[in-house]
Amino acid sequence: MSAITSVSPPAKPATLRDHLERITSNFWLRTVAQKIFIVWVVVTVTFFLIRALPGNPIEIFVMTLMDAGMSEEEARTTAASLMRIDLDAPLSAQYVDYMGNLLKGDLGDSYVLSRGKAVNEIVFQRLPWTMFSVGTSLLISFVLGMFLGMLAAYKRNSWIDHLLTNLGAAINSIPNTLVALILVLLLGVTWKLVPLNLMRGSLSPGVEPGFTLEFLLDLFKHYAVPGTVYVLSTLGGWMLAMRSSTSSTLGEDYVTVARARGLSDMRIITAYVGRNASLPLVTGLAISLGFVVGGSILIEKIFVYQGVGLLLSQAIAKRDYPIMQGILLVTTITVILSTALADMLYGWLDPRIRIAGGGGVNHVK
Amino acid sequence: MSNKGKSFWTETIKTFKLIARNKVGLLGLILVTALVLLSFVGPLLVPPETQAHTDRINKPPSAEHVLGTDFQGRDNLIMVIHGGRDVLLVAFTAGILTTLISVAVGSVSAFFGGRMDSMLMTVTDIWLAIPRFLLLVVLATLIELENIWMLAIFLAIFGWPALARQIRSQVLSLKKREYVEAAQLLDLGAAHIILKEMLPNMMNYIMIALITSMTTAIYSQTGLVFLGVVPFGNNWGVMFSLAYAKNAIYNPNAAASLLAPMGAIILFQLSLVMFSRSLEEIFNPRLRTGV
Amino acid sequence: MSKSTNQQTSKSSPPTLSVRNLVIEYQAKRGAVRAGRDISFNLQRGEAVALIGESGSGKTTAGLGIVRLLPENAQIKQGQIIYRRLENGRVTETDVRALNDRQLRQFRWKECAMVFQAALNAFNPVLRISAQFGDTARAHNYLRGRKLKERALHLFDLVRLDPERVWRSYPHELSGGMRQRVLIALGLLLEPQLLILDEPTTALDILTQRNIIDMLKDLRKTLDFSLIFISHDLSLAVELADRVATMYAGRIVELCDVYTTFKNPAHPYTIGLINAVPTLTAHKDRVTSIPGSPPDLIDLPPGCKFHPRCPLADERCRTEEPGMENPTPNHQAACWKWQSARESLAGGWEL
Repeated sequence: MSAITSVSPPAKPATLRDHLERITSNFWLRTVAQKIFIVWVVVTVTFFLIRALPGNPIEIFVMTLMDAGMSEEEARTTAASLMRIDLDAPLSAQYVDYMGNLLKGDLGDSYVLSRGKAVNEIVFQRLPWTMFSVGTSLLISFVLGMFLGMLAAYKRNSWIDHLLTNLGAAINSIPNTLVALILVLLLGVTWKLVPLNLMRGSLSPGVEPGFTLEFLLDLFKHYAVPGTVYVLSTLGGWMLAMRSSTSSTLGEDYVTVARARGLSDMRIITAYVGRNASLPLVTGLAISLGFVVGGSILIEKIFVYQGVGLLLSQAIAKRDYPIMQGILLVTTITVILSTALADMLYGWLDPRIRIAGGGGVNHVK
Repeated sequence: MSNKGKSFWTETIKTFKLIARNKVGLLGLILVTALVLLSFVGPLLVPPETQAHTDRINKPPSAEHVLGTDFQGRDNLIMVIHGGRDVLLVAFTAGILTTLISVAVGSVSAFFGGRMDSMLMTVTDIWLAIPRFLLLVVLATLIELENIWMLAIFLAIFGWPALARQIRSQVLSLKKREYVEAAQLLDLGAAHIILKEMLPNMMNYIMIALITSMTTAIYSQTGLVFLGVVPFGNNWGVMFSLAYAKNAIYNPNAAASLLAPMGAIILFQLSLVMFSRSLEEIFNPRLRTGV
Repeated sequence: MSKSTNQQTSKSSPPTLSVRNLVIEYQAKRGAVRAGRDISFNLQRGEAVALIGESGSGKTTAGLGIVRLLPENAQIKQGQIIYRRLENGRVTETDVRALNDRQLRQFRWKECAMVFQAALNAFNPVLRISAQFGDTARAHNYLRGRKLKERALHLFDLVRLDPERVWRSYPHELSGGMRQRVLIALGLLLEPQLLILDEPTTALDILTQRNIIDMLKDLRKTLDFSLIFISHDLSLAVELADRVATMYAGRIVELCDVYTTFKNPAHPYTIGLINAVPTLTAHKDRVTSIPGSPPDLIDLPPGCKFHPRCPLADERCRTEEPGMENPTPNHQAACWKWQSARESLAGGWEL
């Protein structure tokens, strides 16, 4: 021990740099900040896309209006106000307006599908349906996939493993559109197991949303086949990923040591193998959210399921740009939020990531 | 250090032998080749159907029309033969482009590290955060895609981020190997190191990445065509979307015009996946059964 | 935690572990790998035996066999493993091979703890050390809560670790040497009467090795357990062992107390090993290695398995595998030539 005591330097005022460092070194803050940044980028890019692309949608709409008989000026004003932009203002001012509107939740009004009605109203009315169907399916697919994957890995090279792996890979490679069509064909037309009207729409006509048994039953009946399509088209991926992850975890030293310690099989499967094997999948969870939300366009179209996906395909068909832009923004932000959640989940599950930004025990040998 | 000195042919033959050992993979390879031949050589041998034949609309499979006819009376088999070209071309082109871009970005990012790495990875992360298909669909309506080449490029632009990240981790782990350090000490230059030392050792990974991007391209292509945002032609995707639009699902006679193109697409996807599994087994000996 | 004067191997109480004619085989594509062929030895109460040998000699296999932790493609074909527990003056015998799954789980770690080498990855990365101690204790209905923590902290002290800090940390926050020590502490948690250490100091730097060896020596003085440690490093044997068993090609070829091993070895292999260790005082020309390499365990040569590398090999060695000869009552050597081995090889490996 040195006899000289060190003199601490006088305290410096906290600079911007220090604040930034605080943020980047804390895992949770860093994740949130990253995601906010991404949202901002997406929002800005969308802004420029709509304005700057060839075949500018606003121009196209103006043409359409003019064809219907409006004067150019009237057409321009209508188009501008529906999309909440001022075509004459400089781009930067337009941008400020745009951001301001967004923060207020104003996404403009629909051009075509329901002219004049607020986009956010339309979109948010459909959102719960998609979130329900996609979310439930994701959950089922993930859990089932994890379970089957672990099973396949534990019974490596047995007939069960071969069956699951090959079946999983096969179904996984079929595009979800085709899975949907095959299911409709088999269940509805060939084997006549499911009445066709259950495969159209998200609710039977006349049933009101609410916490009634009638509603819930109907909801699930209509969800059944499209939900199965979602699950089937994603199950294979989860299963194969979990299988390979579990296989490598099973080979790790700490699993052998855990057995040598006399731990029960259940404990080993859950806390030692399961937790470590599912880590890589959590990041996959985040990425797949983007996939499924996107894929829902196709499935909802086939089953005429009244969700955001169907709305988007209708908007595309009719070139209703405010709705398209609104859906893009809302969906993207939702996906980014879930990605952030998935990242944080990963950080909670894997302590090695949390500690990454410095700290740790002094290594006294 | 690098793989010079081994003749290209002996390597190829050796690889074929390895592939043949895995029955599934071999089957995949055969199917892929068969479909390629069907789609590229077939049209040279079989004249296309250009007109509607109103007298034979929606006929089920028979001796005369092995796969039946569609809603315009055209023979489905002929349509399938001619319909593969676009699909396969887009798949190959998009796959190759995606792989090229992601390999370039991933290896440069990993190799140079530092700020370039963080910058490139931030861009990649942003790209990844956006729901890809959604963006594809929306953009496809804004940008008129005129031909299959533009479609392929379009798909590649949106497909590379996922792959780039994986390539980057591969390169990062390779970077620590001795032969790379040796090359760096010898001051052989970044391009040489990346191209001559690292990439040949990642060839297996890249091959599998190529096949994966091809399957993704087919996925996206199918979806886009089904939604009607992609230019027409007479490929498999268009075939079944039209059939679907004409309610072929509910008409047992017309089912063939739905199933034939669907079957072709699924077959192609499956054979690609089968082939890639045998590649995986070759390149990862630990997966091979037995001690 | 009782002290005991256990340096004298007590012939009065029955041995803690008796291994008889153990045969262990692995299934490989090419054939059966005979990793353990007729391994037999006794471990007395409080004694430390070193299993020394090259890679592939079967030493780790023997250790794994005792706790029945062999990989899936391996099997104990034959043999007997008897473990004797001494408690309050009474001895309970356990036939390890006859244990069912539940009994085996209880046997492991509580009666016999096997501490593996490369403790780098011996701990579950997502659980704190405290949780992993808790897991182990819970699986054996041992102490809980505060009492468990007290005991664990005490053990950390014994293995020279900073108790509080280590208790709260995650495995990746500790260095390799620390993890090895935590694993040893965990091994002692349930007060086993038999401890097996597999290469406890390999893959650690020399200073840490020193630390761990010293710590093990202290532990043997303060705690009461019998020890088998497996290593390729002869110098470890000198520090820690009472007796040394040299293994070759799946069999113990020499077994005697540690002084005899170094001063009066009887088997040519042991002699070769001793000569291969450089010392500060020996002339540099005296250091040799044993030419050749260990035999293919799938396709073993006939007769004595060492004969291809042994300068003393004769016709008998090439055809008949030696049984155990006894130069002295407490000294076993599997060699036809043991009487002349020491002299013949005194001048080096070339005759």
